[in-house]
Amino acid sequence: MPTRESSFAAVWAILRKECRSEWRTRYGLNSALLFAITTLTAVSFAVGRLGDRTDVLAALLWIVILFAALASLSHTFVREVEGHTQTLLRLAAGPTPIAVGKLLFNLLFLGVLEVVTVPLFMILMGGPPPHWGTFLGVLALGSVALAVAATLVGAVIAQTRGRNALFAGVSLPLLLPLLAAVVSATRAQWTGNPVTFELRLLAAYTFALLAASLLLYDHLWED
Amino acid sequence: MSAAGPRTAVEPDVASSTIALEARGLAHRYARGRGLQRIDFAVRTPGVVAITGANGTGKSTLLRIVAGLLRPSEGTLAFTHAGRTLAPLARRATIGFASPELAFYPELTAAENLRFAATAHGLADGDGAVAAALGAMGLSSRARDRVGALSSGMTQRLRLAFAALHRPPVLLLDEPGSHLDDVGRAVTEAIVAAQRANGLVLLATNEPRERELADSRIELRGGLGDPA
Repeated sequence: MPTRESSFAAVWAILRKECRSEWRTRYGLNSALLFAITTLTAVSFAVGRLGDRTDVLAALLWIVILFAALASLSHTFVREVEGHTQTLLRLAAGPTPIAVGKLLFNLLFLGVLEVVTVPLFMILMGGPPPHWGTFLGVLALGSVALAVAATLVGAVIAQTRGRNALFAGVSLPLLLPLLAAVVSATRAQWTGNPVTFELRLLAAYTFALLAASLLLYDHLWED
Repeated sequence: MSAAGPRTAVEPDVASSTIALEARGLAHRYARGRGLQRIDFAVRTPGVVAITGANGTGKSTLLRIVAGLLRPSEGTLAFTHAGRTLAPLARRATIGFASPELAFYPELTAAENLRFAATAHGLADGDGAVAAALGAMGLSSRARDRVGALSSGMTQRLRLAFAALHRPPVLLLDEPGSHLDDVGRAVTEAIVAAQRANGLVLLATNEPRERELADSRIELRGGLGDPA
């Protein structure tokens, strides 16, 4: 049986391997940043600064983050299958450390993406100053929820033949409630309304999805 | 039985624990008439067992089942270590697996690929184990080369280094001599000889030279060798 120490070591090994591979290949980060920057620039040229249109601002921010990140986040497992490295991975670590390692990488990826995207969004779109504590809390919880959902979707679709078609089918019901909650919370913090309900919803969603994922990974990641 | 003196990286870390494999009605079907036909066998440490049979008889499939990478569609395989049955997902520390299907991360170097595996296995001296495994396979000078730049023979040596990295008591080697030159084959034979003393080797091969390394043999039927 794997000990807690060996599981931590496996998670660390996978996180470090993912970071090193991404750094060497720039497989996901370059295209994610390109998407985010070009989208924000194009919208800025087209409609100018959105000012106090907090409904549009909140939706635009999360659409940019979601679409910039999703293709890369959900492909963390697909890359292993397409590169035929899943045998190596399965011989080196158990399903749960693999999934947790990839989830942590996805979180880190989102963090790097948001460090560039959010300030650029603020500058180009010109929204009202956010309530920083609440805003960062929504951003953090939304990112965790997005990473958990994308990692699970990635594990589900990786072993299937029609993975591109399945990607949309599995993603839609998982991402819609998440997107609705984060957009609503982001808008609420700008307008000064309470965000407690949305944060609770996001926390419950993340917890439920994480628990389901940890139960499913043993079965998803085998022949 | 046990070799005296300090262990090298490629010698098994089995101590006095006995490992036994017992298959009953084991089979795996990919499609009608395709895959591993029903087989019964029992093997235990120490020893070298050759798995032979025509193409398509399921030699690689059998090794994948033993490694816990594939669930058989019929029958059972009991994998016991020191009297305890190991579930498929709990066999990683006990087995070393090298097969033509085993691919490495091409953007990482040979040493980085092995260091990833060593860390994931929780080896205390990961760097030492990596250096010893690469040295044993004659790959020390290529440790910092990216895997994508290695030749087929070097990649095969890296597979064998990966299999022996954590000194597992059971080695599962699928066509270990493929792409290897004479030096590579000699090193492989030395690994098998070292493992014979304490551990177990399952060797899927049809090469006469590799078959001679084995103490016993499991002959698989069907595949392209079966006119039916």
